[in-house]
Amino acid sequence: MWTYILRRLLMMIPTLFGVTIVSFGIMKLAPGDPLLLQLSSSGMAGQSGQTREAFLVQKRDLKLDKPVLVNFRYFTDYRDELRLCAHYASLSLDDVRKEVAQLSAPDIDATLRPRRDFLRHEFRRQLGIKDFDQRLQNPEQQDGVARAILVLTQLYFEDVGANAVPSAMELLDTADETPDGMRLKVGLVRLLNGMVTDPFRYTYSNPPTDAETPQIVATWSIWWSRDQAQFPPIDPDRLEILRKNFADMVAEPSKEKLFEILEAFDRDDMRFFAERLLGPEPNAKTPSLQERFIASLTLSAYVSKPLKVDVAVDATAEEIDQVAANWKSHYDSNKARYQIPLPNKLGRIVTDTQYAHTVWRLVTFNFGRSALRTREPVSEKIWDAVKVSAPLMLLAELLIYGISVPIGVVCAVRRGRVADRLITLSLFMLYSIPSFVAGMLMLLFLCYGDYLKLFPTMGLHASNADSLAFGQWLLDYLWHATLPVVCLSLFSLAAMSMQSRASMLDVLGQDYIRTARAKGLSERVVVFKHALRNSLIPVITLFSNFLPALLGGSVLIEYLFNIPGMGRLSWASIEQKDYPTMMALIYIDAIVVMLSILATDLLYVVADPRISYSGRGEG
Amino acid sequence: MEPGETYWDIVWRQFRRNRFAYTSLWSLLPVVTVAIFAPLLCSNVPLVFRTPDGTFFPWLRGLFHPEEPVDFVFNMALLGFPLWLPSVLVRRPAWKRRGLTSRVQVLHGVFGYVVITLALTAVFAVPSLRPNNRFRASNFPAEEFASPETKHGTYVLIPFGPFEQDVKSRYEKPFYRKPQSGWEDSNDGVIHPLGTDDSGRDVMTRMIYGTRLAITVGFVAVSIYLTIGCLVGALAGYFGGWVDILISRVIEIVMLFPSFFLILTLVALMGPNIYIIMGVIGVTSWPSMARLIRGEVLKQRAADYVSAAQALGFSHARIIFRHLLPNSLTPALVAAPFGIAGAIITEAGLSLLGFGVRPPAPTWGSLLQLAHGNYSYWWLVVFPSLAIFFTVTIFNLIGGGLRDAMDPRLRATE
Repeated sequence: MWTYILRRLLMMIPTLFGVTIVSFGIMKLAPGDPLLLQLSSSGMAGQSGQTREAFLVQKRDLKLDKPVLVNFRYFTDYRDELRLCAHYASLSLDDVRKEVAQLSAPDIDATLRPRRDFLRHEFRRQLGIKDFDQRLQNPEQQDGVARAILVLTQLYFEDVGANAVPSAMELLDTADETPDGMRLKVGLVRLLNGMVTDPFRYTYSNPPTDAETPQIVATWSIWWSRDQAQFPPIDPDRLEILRKNFADMVAEPSKEKLFEILEAFDRDDMRFFAERLLGPEPNAKTPSLQERFIASLTLSAYVSKPLKVDVAVDATAEEIDQVAANWKSHYDSNKARYQIPLPNKLGRIVTDTQYAHTVWRLVTFNFGRSALRTREPVSEKIWDAVKVSAPLMLLAELLIYGISVPIGVVCAVRRGRVADRLITLSLFMLYSIPSFVAGMLMLLFLCYGDYLKLFPTMGLHASNADSLAFGQWLLDYLWHATLPVVCLSLFSLAAMSMQSRASMLDVLGQDYIRTARAKGLSERVVVFKHALRNSLIPVITLFSNFLPALLGGSVLIEYLFNIPGMGRLSWASIEQKDYPTMMALIYIDAIVVMLSILATDLLYVVADPRISYSGRGEG
Repeated sequence: MEPGETYWDIVWRQFRRNRFAYTSLWSLLPVVTVAIFAPLLCSNVPLVFRTPDGTFFPWLRGLFHPEEPVDFVFNMALLGFPLWLPSVLVRRPAWKRRGLTSRVQVLHGVFGYVVITLALTAVFAVPSLRPNNRFRASNFPAEEFASPETKHGTYVLIPFGPFEQDVKSRYEKPFYRKPQSGWEDSNDGVIHPLGTDDSGRDVMTRMIYGTRLAITVGFVAVSIYLTIGCLVGALAGYFGGWVDILISRVIEIVMLFPSFFLILTLVALMGPNIYIIMGVIGVTSWPSMARLIRGEVLKQRAADYVSAAQALGFSHARIIFRHLLPNSLTPALVAAPFGIAGAIITEAGLSLLGFGVRPPAPTWGSLLQLAHGNYSYWWLVVFPSLAIFFTVTIFNLIGGGLRDAMDPRLRATE
C-alpha cells in the first residue's frame, strides 16, 4: 500500500513538470511590453515614465526580460550592438529624423548599411513589422519610424540588462576624447541606465540588513573620495553636539523623533556622518549596523544622490567624463556581479531563463507578488480566498453526499414506482439547470425585487458580523451561505443521485443479493448491509471529478453572490490582468485535482476490500 | 433481434422507446427552425418597400449582409431552404423505391441540406457575387411610411433587428409599446413582446438570434474536440507503447486543469470573440474524448478484423480511419450531445462574466449579464434562463436516450 502511494507520488513529478509547461505556455500568451504594443499598432510611443518604471520592475520581477528557454547572453559580445544603439541613444529625436531620411535613400554608404540591417531585423523581431523598408520610404511614416528607433534601441538593452555591462565598460574605456568618442560615451551612459536600474545604493531598506552594507559603503566612499575637500574639519564643540545627537538617533527608533533630530543638522556636518558610515579612523571599532543605517539616512537627506548616472544628449564634456567615471567605479565595486566564472555561466544557460525561473517559483510555491498596485503577496491573497470558499465547498460536499446516496437507494429500491419516476424526472431537470442560471433565478425570486425577500443578496456576513456572539454569527453565516451552497451542489447532487441509483440497481440485480434474499434476510439488511457498500464504488469515482467541478463552478456562483472566495479571485485576477495570481491559481488547482485523484484511488481500497494496490506491478 | 437488422436499427428502435429522448429529438426541430428562420421572424428591414421610383426587397438583400459571420451561414441556410425542399420531394419516391427506412431518408435529407447551405455560403462568401445592399445602414423613418400612396412597406412578424438600438426605450417591460408621440422609425409602434434591454434592443429578437449563436457554439466546439479527441485517442490506442504513454500523460496533464477556469483564462488573454470561445472550448475539452476513443480502440485492436486488415498489408492510416475509428466512435457519439449542452452552458457563463462574445452580439448569456446589474429587470433573467434550460435539457435528454439505447445491458433487461 505504502509503496503504491510512494510510486504514485513519484509519478506525479513528470506530471507536475507538464503542468508547469502548460502554466508557462498560458503565461506566454499574456500581452507583451505595453510600449511595444503601442508602437506596433500606431507607430507612436507615448507613456509616462512612472508606468514605464513600474512595468520594468514587474517585468524583471517575473523575469520576463530573460530569454524563454536557453540563455546565451552571458557568452555574447555586445560591442557591435552597443556601438549601434549608443549612436541612436546619443541623438535627439530631430537628429534621428534626419538620419531616417538618410537611411531611406536607395544607395547609402558603408557606415549606414549595418544600421539599416539591424533596424530592419529588430523591427521585425520586436514589433512584428515586416515592411520596414516601405515605412522608411513613406515620408508620412518616417516620424513614427524615428520614434520607434529610439524606443527600440532603449528596449533592446533593457532586456539584455546586466549581461551587456562588461562590453559597455570595455567600450567606455576605449572611447577617446574626439567628438565621436564623446558621443559614444553619451550613448553608452544612456544605455547603461536602461541596463542597470539604481546602480548606486544610498540607503538601507527598512529594517536594514548586513548584506547591504558593502554596496552602501562603496557608494558613499566613491563620493567621499571625490568631494572630501568640500567639507572642512568640524570644530570640537560642534563635534560634541553631533556625537550626542547621533547617539540619540541610534538609540531612538521612532520615526518622528528621528526626523526631528535630522532637521537640526547642517550640510557642513556631513563630514562627521561620512566618517561614521565609512569608519575612517584606523584602529577605531567598526560601526554597527544601526549606526551605519542612521549615518546613511542622514547623508542621503543632505546630499541627495550625489553620483550622477545619466546625461542629457547635449551634455558638456566635463559632465560626461564625470558620469562615465561614476559608472566605472560602480563597475569596479560590483565586479562579482558582472564577471561570472565560467562554470556558473554554463549553468545559467538553462537556469537563467524565463522557463527555469517560472518552474523554480512554482516548485517552491513562491508565487511572488501580485501585479496590481497593492503588490500583495500572491500566497496571502490565495490563502484569504481559500478561507472563504473552503467552508462553502465543504458544506456543499456534505449536502451532496448526504442527500444523493439516500435518494439513489430509495429510487433503486422502489424502481418503476411513482416516487422513482418523479424523483428521476426532477433530478434530470436539476441536471440540466446550469448552476448560475439557478443562482440568478433564486436571486431574482428569493432575494431581490418585489418577490420573497427571504435571503440576503450578497456576501457571506451581515455588516455587523464582527460584533455578534458566536452562535448568532454562525446562524448569520448559514443564512448567507444557504443559496450559494444550494447552487454549488445542485448539479453534482443530481449527477451523483443518478449515478448512485444506477449502481444500486446494478448491484441489486446480482446473484449474491438473490442469495441473501433467499436466505431469508430482511430487506433492510439486504439493502443496507449487502448492497449499499458495493454500490458505493462507482460513486467514489465521481469524487475526483466533483472537487475540481466545484472549484471551477464557483467562479460563477461567487461572482453572482459576491463572495470573496477562490472563484471570485480567479475572476478578478483575470479581469485585472494579474498574471502572477492567475498562474498560481491555475497551478494550485491542478495540484489539488492531482491529489484528489490519488485520494479517490485510495478510497476505493477502503470501500472495497477486493481492490488492493499492493500486488500491482508484479503481476 | 430481427433478421437483417443492423446495429443502428437496434439503437434507433431502443431510442424511440425512450419517450423523453424521442420527444427531445423532435423538439430539436423547432429550435433549429427558429435559428434558421430568424430573419423571417424578426427583422428591422421591410420585406417589400415601395417608392414612386419602384419596388425594392431590402430584406432579401439584407440577408447577404449580416453583421455577424455566423448569421451569414444561417441566412444561407434560409436561402437554401426553398431550393432544398423541392429536391427532397423529387427524390423521395426514388428513396422509397430503394427501400430506405424513414430514418435513413431523414439523414439523407439533412445531409443534402447541409451541403446546399455550405455551397451557398461558399458562393456568396465572394463579395462581388452578393447583391449590394443600399438600405443596410438606415432605419426607415416613420414619415416614409406615412402615406400608402408614396412610400410604404411590409415588415415581418417582429419588425426589430438584433442590433437595432433605441435609446428612448431602454429597459422596458414585456409588452411595452412606445407611446405614439415618440414614434420616429416606421417600426416604433409595434409591441416588444419580451421587453427591451439596456440599449433599447428588442429582447425577443435577441433571444431568437441568440439561438443561432448557442447552436453554433455547441456544434462547432464539439466538432473541434471530437476531431482532436478521435485523432489523438486513435493514435494512442492503435500504436500503443511510447506513443500511448506520451499521449496518456498529456491527456492526464490537460485534464488536471479546471476546465472552466482554463477556458476563462484563455478567452481573457486572446480576446472575447465567439470564434475564439468555440476554439478554446474545443481545444481544452478534447482529453476526455481522447480517453474514451483510446479505450475503445484498444478494445477493438484485438479484434480479428484488425488482424485481417494488417495481414492484408493495409497502411496504418487506412486501418485507423476505415476500420478502427468507425467501430470505436460509439462512446464519443454518446458524449457529443452532453458536450453540446456543456458548451452552451460554458458560453453563457462566459458571457455572464463579461468574457463572452463581443457586447452587441446577441447571446443569452449577455442578457443575463445585463440583469446581474439590476434584478428588477426580471425579463432579462427569466427568458434567457428558460431558453438555456430548454436547449440544455433537449441535448441532455437526447444524450441520455442515446446512451441507454447503445447500452446492451439495459437492452437485455427490457
